[in-house]
Amino acid sequence: MSLMSVRDLSVVYASKGAERVYAVKDVSFDLQPGEFVGLVGESGSGKSTLGFALTRLSKPPAMIGGGSILFDGVDIAEMDPKAVRVQRQGGFAMVLQSGMNALNPVRSIRNHFFDIFEAHGHVAKRDREARAQELAGKVELPGSVLDRFPGELSGGMRQRVSIALALSLEPRLMVFDEPTTALDVLVQHAVMDTIRELQKSMGFTAVLISHDLGIVLEVTERVMVMHEGQIVEDASSADILNAPQHEYTRMLLSHYGDPRAEVVEVPGLASRGSLRASVVEPVEPVEPVETIELAPTPAPTHAPARTREGRAAHQAIVVSGVSKLYPRPSRADQPVLAVDDVSFTLEPGASMALVGASGSGKSTIAKMITGIEHPTSGTITFGDLQIDKVKRRGLKSLHREVQMVFQDPYAALNPLHTVEYTLTRPVVNYSGLRGRDARRRVLELLETVGLTPVEQFAARLPHQLSGGQRQRVVIARALASDPQVIIADEPVSMLDVSLRAGLLALLEGLRETWGVSMLYITHDLLSARLVTDQIMVLNKGAVVESGNTASVLQNPQHDYTVRLLDAIPNPGRRTPGGSA
Amino acid sequence: MRFVLNKVGLLALTLWAAITLNFLLPRLMPGSPADAALAKLAQNGPVSPATKAAVEAQLGVPTGSMWEQYLSYLGSVARFDFGVSYTFFPQSVAGLVTAALPWTIILVGLVTIIAFIFGTLLGVLAAWKRGTWLDTLPTVGGTFASAFPYFWTALLLVFFLGYVGGWFPTSGAFSRSATPEFSLAFVGDALYHAILPATTILITSLGGWILGMRSTMINTLGEDYVTFAEANGLRPRTVALRYAARNAILPNLTSFGLALGAVVGGSLLVERVFAYPGVGYLLYTAVTNQDYPLMQALFLIITISVLLANFIVDILYGILDPRTRR
Amino acid sequence: MTSTNTSTALANRGVPAEIDGPANPLRVVWRAIATIWSVPKARIGVVLLGAFIALAVFAPLIAPYSATDNSFGRSEDMSAAHWLGTTAAGQDVLSQIIWGARVSVFVGFAAGIFATLIAVLVGLSWGYIRTVAGDVINFVVNLFLVIPALPLMIVIAAYLQNGGIGMIILVVVITGWASGARVLRSQTQSLRSRDFVTAAVFSGESPGRVVFREILPNMTSLIVTNFFAAATAAILAEAGLEFLGLGDTTIVSWGTMLFWAQNSNALLTGQWIVLFAPGLCISLLATSLSLINFGVDGLSNPRLREGASR
Repeated sequence: MSLMSVRDLSVVYASKGAERVYAVKDVSFDLQPGEFVGLVGESGSGKSTLGFALTRLSKPPAMIGGGSILFDGVDIAEMDPKAVRVQRQGGFAMVLQSGMNALNPVRSIRNHFFDIFEAHGHVAKRDREARAQELAGKVELPGSVLDRFPGELSGGMRQRVSIALALSLEPRLMVFDEPTTALDVLVQHAVMDTIRELQKSMGFTAVLISHDLGIVLEVTERVMVMHEGQIVEDASSADILNAPQHEYTRMLLSHYGDPRAEVVEVPGLASRGSLRASVVEPVEPVEPVETIELAPTPAPTHAPARTREGRAAHQAIVVSGVSKLYPRPSRADQPVLAVDDVSFTLEPGASMALVGASGSGKSTIAKMITGIEHPTSGTITFGDLQIDKVKRRGLKSLHREVQMVFQDPYAALNPLHTVEYTLTRPVVNYSGLRGRDARRRVLELLETVGLTPVEQFAARLPHQLSGGQRQRVVIARALASDPQVIIADEPVSMLDVSLRAGLLALLEGLRETWGVSMLYITHDLLSARLVTDQIMVLNKGAVVESGNTASVLQNPQHDYTVRLLDAIPNPGRRTPGGSA
Repeated sequence: MRFVLNKVGLLALTLWAAITLNFLLPRLMPGSPADAALAKLAQNGPVSPATKAAVEAQLGVPTGSMWEQYLSYLGSVARFDFGVSYTFFPQSVAGLVTAALPWTIILVGLVTIIAFIFGTLLGVLAAWKRGTWLDTLPTVGGTFASAFPYFWTALLLVFFLGYVGGWFPTSGAFSRSATPEFSLAFVGDALYHAILPATTILITSLGGWILGMRSTMINTLGEDYVTFAEANGLRPRTVALRYAARNAILPNLTSFGLALGAVVGGSLLVERVFAYPGVGYLLYTAVTNQDYPLMQALFLIITISVLLANFIVDILYGILDPRTRR
Repeated sequence: MTSTNTSTALANRGVPAEIDGPANPLRVVWRAIATIWSVPKARIGVVLLGAFIALAVFAPLIAPYSATDNSFGRSEDMSAAHWLGTTAAGQDVLSQIIWGARVSVFVGFAAGIFATLIAVLVGLSWGYIRTVAGDVINFVVNLFLVIPALPLMIVIAAYLQNGGIGMIILVVVITGWASGARVLRSQTQSLRSRDFVTAAVFSGESPGRVVFREILPNMTSLIVTNFFAAATAAILAEAGLEFLGLGDTTIVSWGTMLFWAQNSNALLTGQWIVLFAPGLCISLLATSLSLINFGVDGLSNPRLREGASR
């Protein structure tokens, strides 16, 4: 008998004055005892909504709109909340995405455990301390963690505590909702290992909800692919990987690759050895981007550095011996050395990757190159310009040449300004064009980034655009001053996997045709392989390895680079323990 | 510990600023408050040199540098010597203030704490039962009641429950026949007199606490730790109190400190209506008689009291929030 | 990815297909009012406030008598000639109430506007600068926050004897700007760290433009909230000061009506309406502003500026 049996389940969002929206539509599936199942989908696919419904945690405006959820033969979809509460012990548990905020900041970790024991009375009073210690051990945390408050723990530790708390219910079904998404790449990997081992040793049924098909294929036995509220494919992991049936699954899979391989290809981008190619022209603004037939014309490793009229050209950014020391946040802490003696040169027209986990100092380097922050020691020059000493006036002439593409498309555009206003400002400020000329230039820029019909997009406000469209506006804005250098800070990490390649192809294509050099900041080695020629690996503020992108990734010398490479989810590389 | 030391330092700095403000106020004002005060005092008979010095230190004299004036002012504050009131000649200002202060502190302090606790609980309930009558009633009632001017509520209560109904005394803090002492009879009499002023402050300040707690509580109810607590099957009461309300109360505690000044201000008006012998009524008397020395001393003592209350609230916050202990 | 992302994604599905160019400012204002109107509580507030403003503006037309005419019988009860009776000085209570609306509405709006103006200027510059000056302002603002406002007003008013409405507005503004400044400062700080503000710097915008075109418009609802809160406080403070006799007691306002009622022992003579009516008006006016505040949350919503109507 299956542990959970879902039939024709629908979840609707019904808020006052708005139309009822079906987030999950007529979904049916079964979960067998001890199974590890993945639930994959992109943002808005309804996967989290489904996860909340399975554990009876849907909150208004979301509500179950029909169908049944049989857990152990009993329908919990209609069950009285009091009865559901009792069911949770020995029943179903949930680990939320943001382990950061899942713990009560004013309660010690011990009390979190004791609250659960008290609520269900399943652990005798005198055994509680021992049981809490034991659970902490299971998620590889020391017993002393019980004395701490959530604010004193790192993100990874907090997520481990969340898992231990969910385990304390002794559940038969565990739902993990993006359990590692908010964590650092290396920590992600470690936490995922723990989850996998726990599932194997304790034998509970697990559902792993994730946007990342790579992670899911690595650890689960069976995968359900969700798209627009429906499960479009439900098959064993091996079948999904080797013989995907649904077009959507195939599209998702096409975006994965191993940056270590000799040939790496995703739709729109390819890298063979040290030769790269990108398909620029036919980028449709419609999402998701269609798979484009690749015509591998090898691109020159350096884009031709173009001379801009009336402006000095062929200038390199020279970073030499730069360090950045942040004052200690409070008296108890040590000062933070965010960047430690970093030197490099970004040649005109070059494309260079700066990779590292969060806290490696890569964003601080971006801030220093763009003059937003000044280094503690060392110099950064751009032609005659001393970036490390630039004052407010110099900042404008610096930004004419050095522009930035931001990480979060939802934060990078002022919600109250139309696309046209946002793009007109740099055009007016840097090119001196006014009125109709400025407008024509804005429309040209929109055309360049593939937002057509341009007039329509010009009039839109950010909330009327999708994430991918917003990021195109952000790229257009960066190009508005016709800069020589673009700093792209994780430009696609907030986007759905299927959109990433399209945007990177656009960025890389524009870089080549416009003759711009790019510093591509990322933690994602696959994309680094696809769009850059040189690479620098950063750990704790210091460069541990640098060189030609393809050769560094294929023959990593430093241990840290190897660890980063190992942390990449790769559907093709299933760990032996993954399919028990 | 560092947290407490920081707060003590800040308190000292704020106290100094308040004392200095008190020094500057009469000197920034047009005319010469000191001369006016001395002239009025002189009507009661010859002014002793000590009294004259104290009044001048407080209100400023045209002679002497600002710095000398400031030093002698600080000296008189340290000695708690604010000169002599001419309204209540020949009583010293310090003596008058000391006599009035306990009445206000007990009345306002107790009622405010009761109102805060009661309002907070109602706010928790309103947010937890959002959309039901348990939410609507306190929310709408609170909005309306917090728009009542303190003195108006007081006047209505005096009129209807005092004069018309005749159930409660309409003025004073105790019966004229009673003498202040620690006897059961006197305490009972004082409580009886305190009912109407207390009710006034309660009615008018309650709404603010309800609304404030309700909105922060609604915010915390949307937090992940509340969802996670529910996912772990904690009892609804535990989720509401130990998880949601326990966090929601923290920002409210800060606004409690800040709103204290407003409640104290309002209670001054209440004391005026009830002729309650606290600092508010005394301040009113001082102001109507232009008794500047008394007025300045009262303003200083009221400010210092509010600063100290705020300090206590800050420390309490530190105890309740483990994040400040790091 | 998160549940919030899911809901944004859901909201994004409703991208309108047609867009008819940028909205004009008039339409934005109209839609702002419509936004407030769409919240039932705020709607009651708008109606109430509208009634009081009409009362104040058209007082000469509405009031049956002059407010200062004391030729009537003293302390009369309610009658056809005097709907709310007369005061102890022989004035018509209803006429006084109607004329009195002028003072409260005027003081509320004037003090509210000035206090908000200072709060916006201090809050924005304080939130935008990151120097030692910030710490000094921090201390000054905190000082103004903890010093009890009404006693300070009383003391200043006592020195400035009978300064009238101008004096009252001044003391209300002096004591009332700090809380707004603090709220707006923290909002400025959070907005200035947003990417779109950094992006504006990259677009070559001057600091002034960054503050006034990028940051300020995103704080509209906070500023409006602050205005209504400041106006409410001003109306209550004005009434309180006048009740203590610290304003100009010869003008006709709700506060002075209560002052005279208390001083002429209206309590003893049973003239409850003289006590009841002005206080009720003060409460209702203050309530109307608080109610409107329930509806201003939507004002910073970009949907207000959409070209297409919904």
